Amino acid sequence: MTAVATEIARAPAHGRAGRLAALVLLLGAAAVTGVALGSSSMTLDRLLPALVGQGAETDRLIVWGLRAPRVLLSALAGMALALAGLLLQRATRNPLAAPTVLGISDGAALGAVGFLFLFSDSANSLTVSIYWQPVAAAVGAAVFAVLVAVLARGAGGGPVGLVLHGFALGALAKAGVTLLMIVGPVYRASQASIWLAGSVHEARWSDVVVLASLMALILPVLLILTARMDQLLVDDSSAEASGLPVRRTQALLIALAVVLTASAVSFVGAIGFVGLVAPHAARLLVGTRALPAIAASALVGAAMVVLADIVVRLAFAPLEVPTGAATALIGAPYFLFILFRTGRAHA
Amino acid sequence: MHDRSRSNDQTLALSAAAAGYDERLVFSSLDLSVARGRVTALCGPNGCGKSTVLKAMRAMLPLREGGVFLEGKPLSGWAPKALAREIAMLSQSPSAPEEMTVLDLVNLGRYAHRRGLARQGTADREAVEAALAATDLADLAHRPIGTLSGGQMQRVWIAMVIAQAAPVILLDEPTNHLDIAHALDTLSLVRGLSHEEGKTVVVVLHDLNLAARFADDIVFLKEGRVAAAGPVTRVFHADSIAEVFGIDCRVLSDEETGRPFCIPLAARGG
Repeated sequence: MTAVATEIARAPAHGRAGRLAALVLLLGAAAVTGVALGSSSMTLDRLLPALVGQGAETDRLIVWGLRAPRVLLSALAGMALALAGLLLQRATRNPLAAPTVLGISDGAALGAVGFLFLFSDSANSLTVSIYWQPVAAAVGAAVFAVLVAVLARGAGGGPVGLVLHGFALGALAKAGVTLLMIVGPVYRASQASIWLAGSVHEARWSDVVVLASLMALILPVLLILTARMDQLLVDDSSAEASGLPVRRTQALLIALAVVLTASAVSFVGAIGFVGLVAPHAARLLVGTRALPAIAASALVGAAMVVLADIVVRLAFAPLEVPTGAATALIGAPYFLFILFRTGRAHA
Repeated sequence: MHDRSRSNDQTLALSAAAAGYDERLVFSSLDLSVARGRVTALCGPNGCGKSTVLKAMRAMLPLREGGVFLEGKPLSGWAPKALAREIAMLSQSPSAPEEMTVLDLVNLGRYAHRRGLARQGTADREAVEAALAATDLADLAHRPIGTLSGGQMQRVWIAMVIAQAAPVILLDEPTNHLDIAHALDTLSLVRGLSHEEGKTVVVVLHDLNLAARFADDIVFLKEGRVAAAGPVTRVFHADSIAEVFGIDCRVLSDEETGRPFCIPLAARGG
């Protein structure tokens, strides 16, 4: 019995910690690269002084005024979207679930653009505080999440059915965004790219602060919910029998996913497929336990958006290609791959 | 052998209960009780409401009328964790991600005993180790469940239920998809839980002879009502089986165990 006990106590957790550390390094490297590279690339001997507030004034301005907020906003938005995807996949036990796939991202974008449309005066400036925009995005995201859930439940059709409803409603929301942009006050091309495909071009420090605060509020809630998320790995009956209030937990996780999606989308728009790919990558790297899955998903999501932004800045300069185009380039084929596998498993 | 004559000692009971799904009522005015520390088998033809009865006993299905009582106390309005500490249940087709390890899955059985943010305590670890030992799974603790055989997988689910450390255990067809050797193995384990550790076990079983061999009591269900209930030797006879399943059969008694067994002869037409 003691031999058994020591054997069991020696759980294989070391690999997990190593992989998480590697992800932290990857994100750090991506962030430094993101700050260093751009239309005027910097070598380390210019970057490092600028980072600590020395060196040439233009370098400091580029690093602290333009690139640092852009990189930080990318990382925070990537985290939020990845965690939203993780929560949706856990709550629905559907590997295809993600904010973009279920139309929640586009619902949030519609909320944000609808807010700009309703509360802008003729001079194109807002009549209420911009801080209400995330709330409007959350309302849009929640409406579309509820619509998808209700319609998909009514129609049945399993995991793929849920996704079909999500895509249909997402297309509807996207059409709403396009319409509002044509008839409304959001007329500049750079803004259009935010709401159509997601972009971090216009990152400001105030955005970074608001999004970071939101994440600081949500992350502790997620940590409290890790035991419940672990419990949701098994089927409804087994989870319920073990003492988990299954429906209540699922509703809670979906509500948090809605808030996370809205937070990200109201600052960077509907950057797609991060919420789908990051939780899958995390699962491959650290397995199914909720705590490491949360950490790994957040790190992968952040690194994805930071790297995607570097790619669009470098590969297409001086064109301003939306960041979401780069994440979709990786995410969409991967989505097709899972769709194919899931379709076969349920055939 | 223990004295197993305390059959009046009821622990879990449905009283004047009615339940169903959507429009369909599966049972109504159902009275059914199981005795403490004994293995009760629920038997009956497909669609007779066995699984629904089990879910109702676990208070996982809202009753339209009547109530469920544990030791005389109604099971309505209990907190989910408090309920889970009293009654564990293994559903008919449980599922979990393939890459999950045996240990991680069995650990989930401790959820009802964890408070707030507390990490796993000594009691949790001991309960899980005991469950793994009882199901002979200690060597497989770190294996992903996707690599296990059907019989091993069933033992993992039972280990999760054991780890939950509830005095009452409900099992919905635990021998489904198992070959005869693994079915015997599983049922011996289940019977040990009752006879050695004093658990009250209710088990839905398809196979009449396995029920007669391993259960103390049998409840025969037909079309949502109790056709016969009581100790195996009293209830398990050709007439009751004929009535419940609509078959002709001969019931004999095994000389060594004293247990009855049934030889099916033919289905009754109509």
